[in-house]
Amino acid sequence: MNGVPDLLVLDHVTAGYGLGDVLHGVDLTVAEGEVVCLIGPNGAGKSTVLRTVSGLLRPGGGQVRLRGEPVDHLSPRERLLRGIAHVPQERSLFPAMSVWDNLLMGGHILDRGRAGRAAVRERADTVAEQFPIVAARRHEAAGSLSGGEQKQVELARALMLDPALMLLDEPSIGLEPRARQAVFATVRALADAGRSILLVEQNARSGLAVADRAAVLESGRVQLNGTGRALLADPRVARLYLGAKEGV
Amino acid sequence: MHEAVQAVILGVLTGGVYALMASGQTLIFGVMKVVNLAQGALVILAAFLSHSLFTAWGVDPFLSVLIIAPLMFALGAAVQWLLLRPLHQDDAALLSLLVTFAVALGIEGALTVVYHTDYRTTRPAYVDRSWRIAGYQVGEVRLAAFALSLITLGGLWMLLSRTRFGRSVRATVQNPVAARLLGVETARVAALGFGLGAATAAAAGAVYGMVYSFNPNSHYDLISRLLSVVILGGLGSLGGTVVAALVMGVASSLVGALASPVWSDFSFFVVLLAVLLLRPQGLFGARLRGAL
Repeated sequence: MNGVPDLLVLDHVTAGYGLGDVLHGVDLTVAEGEVVCLIGPNGAGKSTVLRTVSGLLRPGGGQVRLRGEPVDHLSPRERLLRGIAHVPQERSLFPAMSVWDNLLMGGHILDRGRAGRAAVRERADTVAEQFPIVAARRHEAAGSLSGGEQKQVELARALMLDPALMLLDEPSIGLEPRARQAVFATVRALADAGRSILLVEQNARSGLAVADRAAVLESGRVQLNGTGRALLADPRVARLYLGAKEGV
Repeated sequence: MHEAVQAVILGVLTGGVYALMASGQTLIFGVMKVVNLAQGALVILAAFLSHSLFTAWGVDPFLSVLIIAPLMFALGAAVQWLLLRPLHQDDAALLSLLVTFAVALGIEGALTVVYHTDYRTTRPAYVDRSWRIAGYQVGEVRLAAFALSLITLGGLWMLLSRTRFGRSVRATVQNPVAARLLGVETARVAALGFGLGAATAAAAGAVYGMVYSFNPNSHYDLISRLLSVVILGGLGSLGGTVVAALVMGVASSLVGALASPVWSDFSFFVVLLAVLLLRPQGLFGARLRGAL
């Protein structure tokens, strides 16, 4: 984003599982207040990018920087303290805990002592105002919620620490159309509020529509990047990811 | 009829002690998905320590729990941190069986060197005293042991449900990746969880030593019963473990009283097989698994 400092920089990052690399030198930036959408085929390494940024996976080479500071050596907890919140693709609520306890877990690292406890509960009240499902179902076990409702609670929980950067991994996956719309409405609201987001999305059209910028990841490398609108209009992207026919 | 009711009372009291012994096993399985084959050996180790404190310094076995529990906690946490934590994630479930079995053999070996293989029982003055309630005999030690089990399990429940650490444990049990992403130090939680499981063995061991005779090999018999209780309860369910322990205790006691003590131990496994045929997930497996 022109003139806006980069919040997150991935500088030629390689990473993988076991002996094989999935990412082969990924370069990517997210500016303050920017929504960047990462699209690509299954197995391209999109989720691996997010796992490398949040610290679930250590890069084998290159560097991940947040506000100019390398964070590669930091644990997920330390990265969370620096403002990186990761909402993974798979369901991540604690099913046997209540919706409210799940929300409070979002502030777990600050939930120490009387002052910390009070601050976390105050923040939970604020977040719950933005997510009606939390208030409506607060005493129910999180596992009893529908997939779409659970995703809303996951997004609410990720906001508990007021993160500088949200990593959203396929938030609409497996949801029925109405729940998918609700999730994208939430992402759009977060974007409008100036939240920096790195979004991985299989539903490329919806993802690109909400993004300021986007990148296409293939075989562990960024093959294309540009504004969300430009990629929506790109014939290659249209053919491969938007379901358009050849020549359209 | 009188004999059956007497057997049920004894079974409930014995079941309480089994619940205490198996709760540590359940906690460890819940947090780490590790079947701790050393839990029986930890109980026997605690029984020996309590016995030594009693015979050498006259420390009451119930009070000895206050001394032994911190030691067992440290031992359990050290076993997890030094031996289980380094295991590669993909092989951890299988290798941890070997590691915890090795720990059990190590404890057995050390106890054999120090105490030899003689059977012993911790016998404070009140060990043979009993009360008569509504015509039924209730042993003082068994009643106190049951009370200790209730207090320890209640404390464990409070810890898990009401404290920050408890929330960390429950979060780790239910979704370890999400817990890490929310800043829970899951490796630390696992070590503390293992320590806590071993600490419950301290209370169980002190009680076990008064109710049963034991030697360093007693853990083989014990671990098979503990595993039966934990599986019957539904792996990883604390509530299920308590119910399963009571069911097992009562069944074993009833068979011992009404049929023959010869079949008493065997009834444990008959109950287990019968329940698993009807509910392969255990008594509470489907509803509470992962919930502790």
